[in-house]
Amino acid sequence: MNDTFLEKGVSKKHNQYSEIFITAILIILALVVILPLLLPWCFVFKTQLEFAYYPWSWPKEFKWSNFLFAWEAVRIGEGLLNTLWVCIGAILCTVPTSAMAGYIFARYRSKFTEIVFYAILAGYFVPVQMVLIPLYQLCNNLNLTNSLPGLFLPMTAFGIPFWTMIYRSFFRSLPNELAEAAWIDGAGHPGIFFRVMLPLAKPATILAVLLVFIGSWSDYLLSLIMLNDQKLFTMQLRIAQFMQSTGTHNMPRYGAAAIIAAAPTIMLYLIFQRWIIKGTLAGALKG
Amino acid sequence: MKSNANVSIFTSGVKYQLKRDWNLIIFKSIFLLPALAFLVIFMYYPIEETFRLSMMRATGLGDTVFIGFDNYLRLFKNDEFIAGFINVFAWSFWSVIIQIPLAFFIAFSLSVYKNKITSPLRAVYYLANILPSAITAMLGRFIFAPRYGVIATISEKFNWTWLGKIDFLGDTNIVFWSIFTVATWAYTGFGIIYLMANIEQIPMELREAAELDGANKWQYARFIVLPMIAYPIRILAIISTIGSLKLFDLPWMLTGGGPGYSTSTLVIALYKQGFVNWQYGRGSAIGVIIFLLALIFAVTQFSLQGKEGSVK
Amino acid sequence: MFKNKNITILLVIAVIVIIVGILLFPGVQNSIKTVFKGGKATGPVKLTVWGRDLPNDDPAHAYIRAVVTGFRAENPDIELEYIALGDPGLMDKTKVAMASNKDLPDIFQGWGGSVMGGYADAGRLLDMTKELKSIPCSAAAREAMTWKKKIYGVAPFFAIAGLFINEDIFKANGLKIPTTIDELEAVADALKAKGIQPFACGARDKWPPLALYMYLTDRYGGINAFDDARTRKIRFDSDAFVQAAQKYQEWVKKGYFGEKPLSEAYGDADNLMATGKAAMQVTGSWKCAQYASKDFTDQNIGFYPFPVLPGGKGEITDMMGMVDIGFTVTKAAANKKDAVVRFLKYAMSVEACSAEKGRICAVPGVKVPTRLTGMASEVFGKAKAIQFWWDQDLPPMITSPLNDTLQTFFMPESDVVRALTKYEELAEEHLGPAKEI
Repeated sequence: MNDTFLEKGVSKKHNQYSEIFITAILIILALVVILPLLLPWCFVFKTQLEFAYYPWSWPKEFKWSNFLFAWEAVRIGEGLLNTLWVCIGAILCTVPTSAMAGYIFARYRSKFTEIVFYAILAGYFVPVQMVLIPLYQLCNNLNLTNSLPGLFLPMTAFGIPFWTMIYRSFFRSLPNELAEAAWIDGAGHPGIFFRVMLPLAKPATILAVLLVFIGSWSDYLLSLIMLNDQKLFTMQLRIAQFMQSTGTHNMPRYGAAAIIAAAPTIMLYLIFQRWIIKGTLAGALKG
Repeated sequence: MKSNANVSIFTSGVKYQLKRDWNLIIFKSIFLLPALAFLVIFMYYPIEETFRLSMMRATGLGDTVFIGFDNYLRLFKNDEFIAGFINVFAWSFWSVIIQIPLAFFIAFSLSVYKNKITSPLRAVYYLANILPSAITAMLGRFIFAPRYGVIATISEKFNWTWLGKIDFLGDTNIVFWSIFTVATWAYTGFGIIYLMANIEQIPMELREAAELDGANKWQYARFIVLPMIAYPIRILAIISTIGSLKLFDLPWMLTGGGPGYSTSTLVIALYKQGFVNWQYGRGSAIGVIIFLLALIFAVTQFSLQGKEGSVK
Repeated sequence: MFKNKNITILLVIAVIVIIVGILLFPGVQNSIKTVFKGGKATGPVKLTVWGRDLPNDDPAHAYIRAVVTGFRAENPDIELEYIALGDPGLMDKTKVAMASNKDLPDIFQGWGGSVMGGYADAGRLLDMTKELKSIPCSAAAREAMTWKKKIYGVAPFFAIAGLFINEDIFKANGLKIPTTIDELEAVADALKAKGIQPFACGARDKWPPLALYMYLTDRYGGINAFDDARTRKIRFDSDAFVQAAQKYQEWVKKGYFGEKPLSEAYGDADNLMATGKAAMQVTGSWKCAQYASKDFTDQNIGFYPFPVLPGGKGEITDMMGMVDIGFTVTKAAANKKDAVVRFLKYAMSVEACSAEKGRICAVPGVKVPTRLTGMASEVFGKAKAIQFWWDQDLPPMITSPLNDTLQTFFMPESDVVRALTKYEELAEEHLGPAKEI
């Protein structure tokens, strides 16, 4: 292997060309991701009739009425607080539990932990649609339906298997030296976890917090089944109410509602993306 | 790769024999309990119920009659289920073959070629993953729809009749690929940031050493990065495969599983049996099959991993 | 170090205790509920209604808006909670609630027929025959809300399927409104020659093709063909069904539904009609409000009965239709019958129904809102026999396979006879074998 490395001495110039080439590909792929996101803007300012005739043309005049209409119908403010509670609840329940379990599965492997791992992973094999009715009955017996914990606790049960798996893979790939040093310093098992390993797994934690947040933010099916009281409806549920009852009869309004639905998460993501990049970099520097 | 010292800490070697038993057991159980509690409380009963109902004739409205494995036997005569079964396997195969290499390519390029342009791009690829699936499906329709779809509009403008003729959502041979394209657009982002985070974990020294040896970027990728992140890639393959088994949203919203059953999936068949056709027992049987397939797949993947042992 | 360890262990235990506490102790649960749920309604009777459309100022939602706001204003002693769930949200949520038999709404919006029948058989619905018998209503609408001789709800609006025709296009091309299938084919050929798509359909959604197939089957086999098949006197692959399917596929192959019918959703079909790209559509009269609205279309669209087949058994007075908006009462309302009856009566009142902008009203004395609705009502008034939507009339076990089967007619390579035979096998499984042959 070393021979091949030595034989292929690469000139700086060749390197530069390949960098330009790869960068160009990356830009194209990024455009492929972004451009479809802009499509709804082509028609949200139009009337339904104008859309029916000329979906992609420049709008005759910019009408904000579709946004106003969707905004008023959805009344997002009322759902926002519910959504926030659900997201916070889901994050608080999912991330620490998965991190702890994933740590044990990665670092203290034994026959027993492997069995427990599969027992937890089992939750990942379950499609939501399969368990809707028993889950609803269960939550009803626990007196949880029609309450926000009744939403984020089952959500957590759906999230834990996935994030346990991710944390497991993360902890496995972390170097041992720091853990060993702490062990020699006399730190206990929890001490090593909290002071050494968890900070090293920061990229995974950032990822988990972000994705659990987005996941519970956009949940529709569980919320629809679990909540009966309009006062408890989450934002996503309110938008679905609007989008489903408007249907595709009025695409500009539908599109406006879609933008309202997607905008908060996209903005949050754009705000926090620096943090994600920093997080992933920080891991590398310490390694 | 793991050193001896590692063994001594994490599986408590001879040195700490006296202390190990209780401290370690308590520590382990405390760390495992919360996760296990959630699963036991919220998952095991529904799973058990699904297994039980899969042996029943049940409309979902109370009355149930035990019929043994009849539900399963009938499934194998059900066109929709069989089509879903085949589609799901094709889907997981292609998502491992196409989406993971794509994710690796982007993730690796982003972490190796860091310049003023690529750094801001890092965050972009995940954007499509954030959208609720109803919106993803809506955008997919705008691209592929006949007459007003983006592709149809472009082909009309430039008079590309060959492109205009393709029926992206109605031709049974093509529609799978249209949906797959939308899914690749929407879901590859996760693979990218997951692999990127793992690639960034690789110590800089290794890359510098490789560069000193005269390796170019792709040799570095092939001989250093790939072996180092083989485990995360395997995890990603498990995620894609199980995700394919559970595939529902996009095909359901884009085509409703049609035309005919050409884009049906296992969960679409489950949903239709359980919620539309009032065949709750049969829907549960599909659920059990999904569950067992995923279990078999995960166990083989993880145990293969275990046998390779320390080659992380 | 030791201290540190103990603290972390304590923290973890605390987390577990909190979680278990939330789940197990009713005291904690209740306190959480008060935090998250707000106080319970104590004073007035609370009536929960699950519907499909939001009561907003969308023209298509005018009726439900009038019902909700009007009822609230007139009945201050009843607290009405109306929850719009959309489609398929309404169906999914109703199904789960019915299956669990818990937290049922008092009233839910439905379409009567076999789905309502299934819920009634399971004992989830409240027999309201005595209370609702006297509310004036068209016979067809009442029949649709009746199951095994008991009335479970009301249907203020009824829909029939018919032939929507773009009259501007017909006039411009000198075409006559077809009254026979042959004329219809001649018109379609003429339209195709002019580059206008003859029919808009929306086959991607699987259910829109049903209306036309129902009419074709009726025109070949008469109004009893379907009922005979349902009651197992004949098979689903007997002559009338096969002839209708072959005609259907012949039309598909001729391009009557455009080049890519399977890609077009029902909403796309709307747009084709609204912009005059398609000239005809066979669908339900619920489209009247939109096709008469100047905001939605700049075409003149009319509503006509589906043509007859000379030599066939079907009559022009055979109609296909079903409840358009209906309300069904559940067991949960058993001890607030009075409030429920007041709501249903208000839903059936001339005052509330007059707000609707297009549907055919089942309540006598409501003025027709548009010319198009007038045309549809006139067609409906001539009906001598009404067949309910097959996918609401058959038991739920075999309704979605029916729509799946119809969609295959749109694939030129599919064998319609084989598809119908497959469907017959499924029907045999659930309804028993057909007696003839």
